[in-house]
Amino acid sequence: MQASELKIPKKPGLRGSVIFSISFAFVLTIVTMITVEFSLIEIIENFTRPNMVVEGLLSPDLTQIFSERSRSAFLETLQLAILGTVSGGGLSLLMAFWATDFGNPIGWLRVIVRNFNNVIRSIPDLLWALLFVTAVGVGILPGLLALFFFSMAVVTKLTSDTLDGIDQGPIEAAKASGSGQLSMLRMAVLPQILPSYASFLLYGFELNLRASAVLGLVGAGGIGSRIEFFRGRLEWSEVWGLVLMFFLVVFFVERLSVTIRRRLV
Amino acid sequence: MISFRNVSVEYRPGEKALDDINLEIQEGEFIVIVGLSGAGKSTLIRTINNLVPITDGELWVDGNSVGNLSRSGVRKLRSKIGMIFQGFNLVDRASVIQNVLMGRVFKLPTWRTVLGLYPKKDKQIAAEALDRVGLLEKSHSRATDLSGGQRQRVGIARALSQEPKVILADEPVASLDPPTSHAVMQHLQKINRDLGITTIVNLHFLDLATAYGDRIIGLRGGRVVFDGKGSECTPEVFEGIYGRSLTAEDTLQEEI
Repeated sequence: MQASELKIPKKPGLRGSVIFSISFAFVLTIVTMITVEFSLIEIIENFTRPNMVVEGLLSPDLTQIFSERSRSAFLETLQLAILGTVSGGGLSLLMAFWATDFGNPIGWLRVIVRNFNNVIRSIPDLLWALLFVTAVGVGILPGLLALFFFSMAVVTKLTSDTLDGIDQGPIEAAKASGSGQLSMLRMAVLPQILPSYASFLLYGFELNLRASAVLGLVGAGGIGSRIEFFRGRLEWSEVWGLVLMFFLVVFFVERLSVTIRRRLV
Repeated sequence: MISFRNVSVEYRPGEKALDDINLEIQEGEFIVIVGLSGAGKSTLIRTINNLVPITDGELWVDGNSVGNLSRSGVRKLRSKIGMIFQGFNLVDRASVIQNVLMGRVFKLPTWRTVLGLYPKKDKQIAAEALDRVGLLEKSHSRATDLSGGQRQRVGIARALSQEPKVILADEPVASLDPPTSHAVMQHLQKINRDLGITTIVNLHFLDLATAYGDRIIGLRGGRVVFDGKGSECTPEVFEGIYGRSLTAEDTLQEEI
């Protein structure tokens, strides 16, 4: 044993840029709070004042769960989510492949697909719904179209990231054996990403289910339309009953999906 | 069988990876190519199946002028040439037999490979290839569950299932330990002897090169600096190829 203890080199202090960034973020937050006139007191006052919405929350109308029309609206939401995920998520496998060097040897087409993927990714679900409600009218069709593009954007993004990290060795092996493009993708690439891709589809389904509640607010069908209907009539107990029901469904679907996804990857 | 006539490869203008190569390779030969890393071994081997296109000269493989083939011509040529890689290049998640079946893809219609429906005949060929490297009982193991030596043997089986006329092996034992390296080299040698498949192997270990190479080709700076029998390959010759004196790292057994 050495008599003297080893001296640990002094930890370098915070760099100037770090200190600057943190203080900048702090100042920015304060300035924003002042400009939007944020006030905790106001929030508390609003909630404690006699308020129809909060009263409804305290006595949710659970009979909504058994009402024929609410149930069929729920079914519609599930159908929307499934159809949107299968169609959009299915197509996203192709879109992800076409955005990679090995999946798409045609340079200019690759650039187009990549830009297309970037553009659709930057459009949020609600905007899709608004777009299609305006374009094709109120109903289940705009909801479906919105979820189609929304899940395509999400699943394409996730799948592309997975494709970026795959082992390129098998691709070289497939090429060296004279394999065609499609066979190469099937034999050398698909087995590598299939578990992740399946998990992304499930994740897309979860997102779609949640999104479908909002979509209805702008007239794109599903349970959201039903919620919007009661909200319009200021029947808050019914609204909260539906929200509670929706919460339970989403909760269980998510639990199930998380369990399956954990086994996949 | 394979004929290089004044072949050069430039990755960038003025940077020659291969410089005026002239070689005649007969059917059934077992050739080892030696040289330092960067000498052009990998490039040379990859010109034969056009993974690296030649930029100058003429290269004839099995009656085809490699520089002048159509896309489908290239694929057809590649189907006759099996390739073995340093990093095995297996699909880790797929089963052993599925990896080997990749060698059958060229012969099958695309819908069959996409759906994964292989005819009995092709499965039989894949099974025979696996049996030849002694791994038939591992058919349904995942590639990741095998040891390094076993994985390279799957790589050999994949090449064999193409029923190739030529086998190219790019540093096939560089990531294996000495006994496993010998086992893999012995498999390659036996396949060459039994089936008469022309075999070209890149190696950088001198003792392995002389032990297995019937003919040794030495590359240095993209040029052929030695071409002769393995038995003629003395340490002095290797020093000529490497352009420096030998060290323990140049041999597998770590002794000179």
